[in-house]
Amino acid sequence: MKRSATAALLVTASLIAGCSGSGDGGTAGGAPTTLNIATMTLPQSLDPKDANGSALPFFQAVYDTLIKREPDGTYSPMLATAWSYDDKLTRLSLTLRGDVKFDDGTPFDAEAVKANMERFRKGGGAQAKTLNDVTSIEVVDPTHVTLVLGKPNPAMLYYLSDAAGLMANPKDFAQDDTLKTRPGGTGPYELDAGQTVIGTKWVFTRAANYWGSRLPYDTIAISYFDNETAIVNGIKTGQLDAALIQDADQQISVESDPEVKTVKQEFDFQGMFLFDRAGMVTPELRDPRVRQALNHAIDRPTMLAKIRQGRGAVTSQVFGPATAAYKPELDTYYTFDQAKARALLKEAGHESGFTLKLPRIPAIVSDALAASLQTDLGAVGVKVVWDDLDPGSAVQRIFKDRAYSAMVMNMGQSSADWVAVGEVVLPGAFNMFGYTDDTVKKLLPKIQGSSAQDATADLQALNEHLVTDGWFMPFYRMTYLHVSDGSVTIKPQDGMAVPAIYNYAPAQ
Amino acid sequence: MLGFVLRRSAAGLLLVLVISFLSYTLLSIPDLDVGRQLLGQSASQDLVDAKNAALGLDRPVLVQYLDWLAHAVRGDLGTSWFTSEDVVRAIANRLPVTISLMAGVTLVTTVAAFLLGVWAGVRRGAVDRFVQVFSVLGYALPNFLVTLVIVLVFAVRLRWFPAIGYVGIGESFTGWLSTVLLPVLSLSVGSVAGVAQQVRSSVIEVLRQDYVRTLRARGLPPSRIVLKHVLRNASAPALAVLGMQFVGLLGGAVLVEQIFGLPGIGSMTVTYTTRGDIPIIMALVMLTVVGVIAVNLVVDVLIGWLNPKARLG
Repeated sequence: MKRSATAALLVTASLIAGCSGSGDGGTAGGAPTTLNIATMTLPQSLDPKDANGSALPFFQAVYDTLIKREPDGTYSPMLATAWSYDDKLTRLSLTLRGDVKFDDGTPFDAEAVKANMERFRKGGGAQAKTLNDVTSIEVVDPTHVTLVLGKPNPAMLYYLSDAAGLMANPKDFAQDDTLKTRPGGTGPYELDAGQTVIGTKWVFTRAANYWGSRLPYDTIAISYFDNETAIVNGIKTGQLDAALIQDADQQISVESDPEVKTVKQEFDFQGMFLFDRAGMVTPELRDPRVRQALNHAIDRPTMLAKIRQGRGAVTSQVFGPATAAYKPELDTYYTFDQAKARALLKEAGHESGFTLKLPRIPAIVSDALAASLQTDLGAVGVKVVWDDLDPGSAVQRIFKDRAYSAMVMNMGQSSADWVAVGEVVLPGAFNMFGYTDDTVKKLLPKIQGSSAQDATADLQALNEHLVTDGWFMPFYRMTYLHVSDGSVTIKPQDGMAVPAIYNYAPAQ
Repeated sequence: MLGFVLRRSAAGLLLVLVISFLSYTLLSIPDLDVGRQLLGQSASQDLVDAKNAALGLDRPVLVQYLDWLAHAVRGDLGTSWFTSEDVVRAIANRLPVTISLMAGVTLVTTVAAFLLGVWAGVRRGAVDRFVQVFSVLGYALPNFLVTLVIVLVFAVRLRWFPAIGYVGIGESFTGWLSTVLLPVLSLSVGSVAGVAQQVRSSVIEVLRQDYVRTLRARGLPPSRIVLKHVLRNASAPALAVLGMQFVGLLGGAVLVEQIFGLPGIGSMTVTYTTRGDIPIIMALVMLTVVGVIAVNLVVDVLIGWLNPKARLG
């Protein structure tokens, strides 16, 4: 018996030795180092026109952006070394590096910038709209290019540090599908097609002739998982080096392991978007008092405690703490006061209540959240009816058919004020009925024509108006956890849930 | 026997055609607006329409299906709409994972279930009760619970095996074994329980037959009676159950692949079905249908070989 137990141990030890190499993120002895990142984002392709926020790390490995966004949200040079606006803020001049080449030796220059941006706009990807305000791109000389804007856009530098700034080799544009699976950029890594299994694991190896400073890892592997249980187990056993954990229970599970290192970040907020402020689907929502009543009816602290295990901070505003528009006191503007909610509904002539039909995608609205909203709003006479939707048809019903007057969402809080304004205030996907009012109409042009610092007062006035007028019904900002197996130091990236690939370093 | 195999194969081919048509039609019923999903909520309707047209989704479903079929018979299953990967390659990459699991579970089940079932059926008494309790437990315990306990104990706590990932058998045999052992164990618990119970009942029933009494009366050693005569006759119903278990494994594999982070067909089915990625889903449906037909054919042939009377049906 004893002998067989020893044999079993030997066998298992050899098995472990055979499989533990993959998680080695250390730097000892100058051996090639690999960073194993887990993700729950499946990129549509590796063509920049398909890029979007949470998939950005896949692209950062092979493409550089014109401007680099530092972890704290400030901008620094990358492919562009300098940038400046004219007085009217409608001409953005960029100075480009002259010593950069694409993987195949083609020089990177102003023509490449123009070609990329024009293709990005026409490509019709999720982010193409970010260049809507660009009317033309003027090539001055190989290292100088000017973006001409139809109207000022305070978020333009942000976009150039994001998907719109990713520069691919124009030689690959001739065949439309080339870049999807064979990306070609100027970035620090190249896709290792031999080791990559699209849809499962992407492996990037160091580009031999990268123009910039070397990142600490020779290889970056990004693996896709469809659940956090596997990710947490991979981190605990050191098979994965770094990941983002969103689910509160999984966060607690991973924190219990003494070897796991964690960094917290508040990024997404969860709340209800009251789209139908003009009362086209639900006439009752036209009255700001009704929207205020809904805000007073919900018990945010209890929701945060029960649904997110206290991991986060209650809030009544949609702007995040990193923005100029943010006012700390607005986080607690709507207290849990159901008597006040009933009084407001009575004042608005709806004391007998009304029915609010809401779409429900189980991945966003958990059973606990659905029950909590139903109970709290039911207590003041607003009957919540949930329509269960699968993620596939939900997009159609919500955004195209405009079948619902409100929706519970998780949304990232950008650090760039105008990005946040563009997402939730301007007519568009998240203001699908195109609602606006006099205060917003008065403030927006003033904000648009100046930098976030100069527009702080107007941005805060806008934020305050959105809160007091009940445009939204935010619940809380959620704490996300960046976790590593102990071998990696991770810096959260301002304006992104997932860190940029530049933000990882071997732990000291 | 050859005629039997040919007849069944022709019926199988017809079934593949019918199911492919039904699947394509059913997949096209929910208006998923693939273009909108691909381009995001903020894309203009013109771009969405152009995208849908580029994917050929603006044509009647029947035309889309015939187009798909015409390409499929030539071995061209298209490209994933959502990840741009070649469908044949995508499935070829993931198939070894699931086949490893299914082959492993079938092997474990065949050996363990027949041993336990025969043991219980022949010995009866305490042994039988033990096997019965094991079967009930194995069947009743939720698969996800068994899997989670196994991964937490043997991978996360004891670190004897990797908690996630898959190593190809061609890359490293020990690596492959270490990555599939726990998932196979997780899937085998329910499978062994079901088949062992079937083997036990069949063995008991065969042992009651007159010819067994005759064999005993002629003084044949009990081990020979069991191995040569009882087992052969008791195997047919157990094989049928084993075949069903094998097919059912595809469903069980989804969960196990997700928990172990295995890039197999099961987890792939869930990921791509929720997105409405028709090229990938159709390929997976075809693979499953062909797999089910092939397994049934093999089981029927085996049963026919064991019991010639079955061939008549």
